[in-house]
Amino acid sequence: MRRVIESDVCIIGSGISAAMVAEKLADLGAASIVVVEAGDESNRAAERYALRRRYLMYGETPWRNDHLDGYEVDGIQSRSMQVGGLAMHWGGVTPRFSPEDFRVRSLYGVGHDWPISYEELDPWYQEAEVRLGVAGEQGPPELDPRGAPFPQAAIPLSYNLELLRGWTDKAGIPMWSQPSAKNSVPYRGRPACCRNDTCFPVCPIGAKYSPDHSWDPLRSSGRVTLIPRTVVRRLEVEGPGDRVSRAVAVARDGGAETEFRARVFVVAAGYVWSSHLLLLSKSSRFPDGLANRSGLVGKFVGGHRNVGGFVSLPLRLYPGINEQHSLVSKKFMRTPRGPRYLRHDLRVWESAAGREPRLGDAAGKLLLGDELLADWRRRATTGAARVRAYYDVIPDRESAVTLDPAKRTPWNDPLPRLSLRDDPVSAELRAPSEAAIRQLFETMAKAGDGTVLSTRSDSFQDHPAGGCRMGSDPAQSVTDSWGRTHDHENLFVVGAPTCVSMGCANGTLTFSALSLRSAQEIGKDLSSRG
Amino acid sequence: MTTTRRRFVLGVAALVPLPFVARRLHGAAVASLDRARLRALAEAVLPAELGSTGIESTVVAFGLWLDGYREGAELLHGYGTGEIRVTGPSPALRWAAQLDALGESFVSLPRAERQARLRTALGTGRFAGLPPIDRAPHIAVGLLAFFYDSPYATDLCYEVMIGRNGCRPLATSAQKPLPLARGG
Repeated sequence: MRRVIESDVCIIGSGISAAMVAEKLADLGAASIVVVEAGDESNRAAERYALRRRYLMYGETPWRNDHLDGYEVDGIQSRSMQVGGLAMHWGGVTPRFSPEDFRVRSLYGVGHDWPISYEELDPWYQEAEVRLGVAGEQGPPELDPRGAPFPQAAIPLSYNLELLRGWTDKAGIPMWSQPSAKNSVPYRGRPACCRNDTCFPVCPIGAKYSPDHSWDPLRSSGRVTLIPRTVVRRLEVEGPGDRVSRAVAVARDGGAETEFRARVFVVAAGYVWSSHLLLLSKSSRFPDGLANRSGLVGKFVGGHRNVGGFVSLPLRLYPGINEQHSLVSKKFMRTPRGPRYLRHDLRVWESAAGREPRLGDAAGKLLLGDELLADWRRRATTGAARVRAYYDVIPDRESAVTLDPAKRTPWNDPLPRLSLRDDPVSAELRAPSEAAIRQLFETMAKAGDGTVLSTRSDSFQDHPAGGCRMGSDPAQSVTDSWGRTHDHENLFVVGAPTCVSMGCANGTLTFSALSLRSAQEIGKDLSSRG
Repeated sequence: MTTTRRRFVLGVAALVPLPFVARRLHGAAVASLDRARLRALAEAVLPAELGSTGIESTVVAFGLWLDGYREGAELLHGYGTGEIRVTGPSPALRWAAQLDALGESFVSLPRAERQARLRTALGTGRFAGLPPIDRAPHIAVGLLAFFYDSPYATDLCYEVMIGRNGCRPLATSAQKPLPLARGG
């Protein structure tokens, strides 16, 4: 016999987007919120020092149960399925997209415009910055427009980054402290950052925001019920209307199915599993799955690619002062760099590249004892910088999450398959874009009397999103700008899947802002319908 | 562990489940490491300016690292891949044998002669970067990889107190690191 759990709101997934929705709805006074998470509980805060120690000593993961065996998905970019999701081990970097990201079709004739503007999203960016506790420096207003100051002063530039900023100034590139969800001062019961340098993969003191900082108080105060180790297999519509009436789930520990009934369902399962659930929810009435009359569920998935490199500079740097903090510039996000469409961010970190201790000298001769240290010291008298640019990639319609006919979950449901594909315009631009970024690194190096040590382009696309993109036209999108699906008035998709494009900067703050905006609309629904 | 005893342990190992065997072999190998010879090895390969205390503390820390090594432990999986990887076989047994192979006289040799013996043991190939600690082909390289991976080695190289990976006030990050305290 099925177990039935009823609530006002049922949220599927417990990552950062889910945490933002739950926190906001709880603040708005939602009576009952149930969160269903397929993964395990994440490790407790008190365990993180010891787990970090093993990470530093042996490279072991501090997040041992953060994925499900039997869920090996072709093409997936990262695996994280646990309470808190991927943001349990994110780096905490929180840039905003730039205004142009929302209007690339209108401005540059590529990709697709969003149904909302940067200006409309600005208040939600502000709220996300407050809830996550973002420490940031206001960049030049023409490059970094924002409606309110950051809630915390910036993470200070380290001695190394100050020297590197002198270099980028010479190169004519304004750079400033990377906004981050890491406390520069004690904030909301969490301590200030103390430069442990392991923001990714684990902050041992809680100075970096992770979703447990939302879930723990919400759960302990009884405002949210979070049920882990429970896989939602499908959403169902009962009766003649289009409202979703239940989510059918199975506990990983076995036993009968659970039926979650709610007034509003919120799919907050990230860029793969959100589309996957909607596609799995097919029936005779909805043969292509729920919310999919447009045929676009799972489509237009993508991220941004990057070109990175290392630059040798005649600067005396001291690697390790605050390795994960960086300089950032939006100079190349605001306007395309040339006649071809190319927009990208730019970040600069301290680095020890080319200056690592080594066992053999340049001739391959073995170094032992004092020779090894002397060789290291000689090479460490000058410094290096790590540079990286994320550039905008326009996803093709068929860049998609689909159901894999060859692989199944332990419950015999098809697993998703992810196949990323550039829009033809982006495919054509890939080589010249990457060449232009490499040339920029060369120009920067020259400005500092340095040399480029190496560059590389990653083939994967970072900060992936899409799959349930928002839009005003139900034939061309899955949700409206609030994340409400066009086809089901009480079914929302929030965060990353709703993105129309993935910009050229880390996406988590944007996903959070979009989720808060969705939560506001969900809250209105709940209050207007009593 | 002597060669005969090691053969006996390996023989017994064939009769019991593999993970259990691996743990036992690892533990036995760590326990059997000739500490005096390891110390003599450290004196030969680590920088002399570490001093007796620094070398001793490195040897102790290396022993603790080896003792704490877990075979088959899940490694961090980063962005950009869905692959799950695990730690490889414990290097303890192999390293213990290599330490044995240096011979009893190794401890009483002058530093230069110990280094010469190690050069012979390490072969004549072309040497480059330091490998990950657990994949070091020889215990001498493992010890070097361990030491040079440490925050203290970075401080020693730059001769300032950076304190990488330590908990340090955010406000002092803008300052040039202070010179490294010496002596004592």
